[in-house]
Amino acid sequence: MSKKNTLSRRQFLSSAALAGAATTIGATSPILSSCAGGDSSTKAGAKQPIERLKGWRIPVLTDMAIDGATVRVGLVGCGGQGTGDIISLYSAASNIEIVALGDVVKDRLEGSRDRIEKETGQRVADDKCFVGFDSYQKVIDSGIDLVLLVTPPVFRSLHFEAAVKAGKHAFMEKPIAVDAIGANRILAASKMADSQKLCVATGTQRRHQRSYVEAFKQIADGAIGEITGGTVYWNQNMLWYRSREKGWSDMEWMIRDWVNWSWLSGDHIVEQHMHNIDVFNWFSGLKPASCVGFGARQRRVTGDQYDMFGVDYVFDNGVHMHSMCRQIDGCTSNVSEFIQGTHGSWNSANHEIKDLAGNVVWKWDSEKEKEDFKQTNPYVLQFVDLITAIRNKTHLNEAVDSANSSLLAVMGRESAYSGKQITWDEIKASSQNLLPENPEMGNMNMAQYKVPVPGEGKK
Amino acid sequence: MKRKKSKPLLLIFFAACFVGVGLSVCSYKVIQHTSTDEYCMSCHIHPMADASWQKSVHVNTKSGVVVHCVDCHLPPHENNEVEYLWEKSKAGIKDLWGFYTKDSASFDWEKRKQLAYAEKMVFNESCVACHKNLYPRGLSSEGALAHLYYEENAEKLNLQCIGCHLNVGHFDPNYKHESNMQLGAIEDTSSQIIHTEATIISSFANFTEKIPSTPVSFNMIAIPGGSFMMGSADNEAYRNIDESPLREVDLNPYYIGEAEVSWDEFLAFFNKTRSEGRIDPAVIMARNAGDDIDAVSGPTPPYGNPDQGWGYGKQPAITMTHYAAQMYCKWLSITTGKKYRLPTEAEWEYASRGGKEGPYFFEGETKKFTSDRFFNKIFGVDTTTINSYVVYALNSKDRTQTASASQANPFGLINSLGNVMEYCADWYAEDAYTQTPSKVSNPKGPSEGSEYVVRGGSFASDAKELRCASRDYTRSTEWLKTDPQSPKSIWWLSDCNRIGFRVVCEMPDAQK
Repeated sequence: MSKKNTLSRRQFLSSAALAGAATTIGATSPILSSCAGGDSSTKAGAKQPIERLKGWRIPVLTDMAIDGATVRVGLVGCGGQGTGDIISLYSAASNIEIVALGDVVKDRLEGSRDRIEKETGQRVADDKCFVGFDSYQKVIDSGIDLVLLVTPPVFRSLHFEAAVKAGKHAFMEKPIAVDAIGANRILAASKMADSQKLCVATGTQRRHQRSYVEAFKQIADGAIGEITGGTVYWNQNMLWYRSREKGWSDMEWMIRDWVNWSWLSGDHIVEQHMHNIDVFNWFSGLKPASCVGFGARQRRVTGDQYDMFGVDYVFDNGVHMHSMCRQIDGCTSNVSEFIQGTHGSWNSANHEIKDLAGNVVWKWDSEKEKEDFKQTNPYVLQFVDLITAIRNKTHLNEAVDSANSSLLAVMGRESAYSGKQITWDEIKASSQNLLPENPEMGNMNMAQYKVPVPGEGKK
Repeated sequence: MKRKKSKPLLLIFFAACFVGVGLSVCSYKVIQHTSTDEYCMSCHIHPMADASWQKSVHVNTKSGVVVHCVDCHLPPHENNEVEYLWEKSKAGIKDLWGFYTKDSASFDWEKRKQLAYAEKMVFNESCVACHKNLYPRGLSSEGALAHLYYEENAEKLNLQCIGCHLNVGHFDPNYKHESNMQLGAIEDTSSQIIHTEATIISSFANFTEKIPSTPVSFNMIAIPGGSFMMGSADNEAYRNIDESPLREVDLNPYYIGEAEVSWDEFLAFFNKTRSEGRIDPAVIMARNAGDDIDAVSGPTPPYGNPDQGWGYGKQPAITMTHYAAQMYCKWLSITTGKKYRLPTEAEWEYASRGGKEGPYFFEGETKKFTSDRFFNKIFGVDTTTINSYVVYALNSKDRTQTASASQANPFGLINSLGNVMEYCADWYAEDAYTQTPSKVSNPKGPSEGSEYVVRGGSFASDAKELRCASRDYTRSTEWLKTDPQSPKSIWWLSDCNRIGFRVVCEMPDAQK
């Protein structure tokens, strides 16, 4: 009757996970000693499913959404991403009517309108094209069923709240928050969406990529054992920037150059790298505890953002996840995720699972996917899932997961900016609010946008 | 022999079954009957509560559903039948006792309307058993954020639905569930004298301060400098460890408010300085920092009625934060050209003692005054002397009183030991006195800390907390636990209705 024997499986796994995280994974753990060096983890009975990942929603990933009544769609934010999303949506389902467009600058809206016409044959009527900071409300009020919110992310919570209040299904492009106030607003609006049975998708298209979904099923089923750590990457070339042109106000320039301004994009750890952080959140199901981050700016041309971040995240059971992201030309690129478990590891660079000896024990067969399915593009598949959910009236709401992943990226950013450790409870309770109260096209106090310098100088 | 015996057994068995079924049916009927509103009201002789319930949103629901007495005042029986019956029996016995031994006319219904009492009478699980959807369509953004805050923190902070929705079961025309934009609305002051300038003090004596361009004035008492023994002696009954060691403290002369700052005074500040809209508190605090600013950005409108329905005017101002009290002093200094601030802990105790040693400035022993003593519970508590000097648990009716309710101490201070707890300028530390144990001059307390010193008891305090030496401190998290905003208010407390302050005025350099 010793206490050891009464340890629950969950306790045992978490202590095994701790041991694994603290030392090199060795033969000290009884789980490991029973299967180290072989591929016994794939034998029937050896795998232990991860309890907390049970019951996660597996998306519908057919070639097309089910048929049904016309879905009337509006787009808020007519940049490349928003226009691309409309075209992806059009490919994902029949009976899609593109009703209204909104943007803060007219030429972006017209460009989008023309491209949509070229790709879909539908031209949005003049009286359904709205320009200005209040265009989101006009789009929402133009008799649509579904709104795509694809402006720079700082506006997302404002737009989502308005969509939910009007009873519209929503697709929010990620990230969906750049600060804690925005994330909280999203969470509250998401609860209101649930109470009205609205469908909400969030542009985390990896969750609709078959290779990821199948790997998730493997890991949830215990293919790599309990998760003991991970590393996630978004290292790529420099993104685009826009030099200021004559006649542009400060606001107009920043919005046209938004991926370089922290208040608009959340910085690239939030804007882009949130995808990879989201994969770790999704696959691990762990609750974050704290992080310490570094960051620097060396080659950026415009704006106030960093070029690179490196963040050590710690989760509740002591598991560490290292995140790194960089946007500089001429460096090694890598956009992927790696997760280590007590039985093996998974990486999305090759979409494979290896045992502890390095043998590949599972691999995603992308050739077979192409044989089995006509549609393999995750940007389209995310809309297959969304439209199917809307037409079947089934529950789909990705806002909570994406708000948490966005906020986790914000936590890393703030740690890098300040040089300080930040806890999840601190960032949850933070009152940072980057959304201006009454944004308008005009000149701003540009002195407020400074590249952050962590810590203090030597005294 | 066996058969003979079994017959009565069988009879007894059937009889028992019959009685059992009968009892079950009866008790079901009894439970049903005793759960009707009419039955409740037949014993609970409180027509005002019945009428306010009739006017409440719980009777006048959009759907036509009527929420009955037992729906809120008992736990939901769907969840746990045993708990339901247990609570019902407890309430029933208590009610019968009250009905046959007490006179309902003697009950303090005003007190029973307050949150502290209501929390004991309403089951939160009953609220949430009916209100399953906290995010109905049409809910405001603020409402959704507040409900999200409730869901995420209810367990951790023990939040109650009625913490924000006190009036839903019993209508109260004065209850506000919104930002109080009307607070401090200027009354017609045409009949009042508007002060054109602050009082000029030429000698060290009591004076009446006049707040310029308002009709408001208040009395200040000149406290001559001197030395006293601060803290409590080892043999003082009911003393706490943070009151020791007893040490000699020297103080320079100063002026201190005769009474706690009233709503008239605090609302003058509020009206002249109020902030609107969504300005980051950090920005406001940065604006208000520094000794040489020429204006103060003051409080935003509070949520609901900060007076708790007890009245404004001469009642002591309550529920402001320590920061708000500090900014009041700063504003008052700018407005009057004097140097007002919160008292140091030493100044507060010296002025409150009025030159006396021992637990109180009046005659008497804590042992005889306190209700926290077995013998006193049986034989009664001595209230004769204490009653006339302090507003406290036994005479307050659980709310604040105006300064006229109590007699002054030998220095002329009114109710420093009771009525409302008072903010001091010092950071609190349990070992503050041991940090400077020997003779000290004008001590200002620890150089840093996380909570401030609070002195004096309140209308809810027992006599042992009214002792001159008794120390307490702010609870910055607990006193704001219901505030769902992020960031929380820097001006108003959502969860403490017994805190206020009195001011100190430094002696002008010319008088020194």
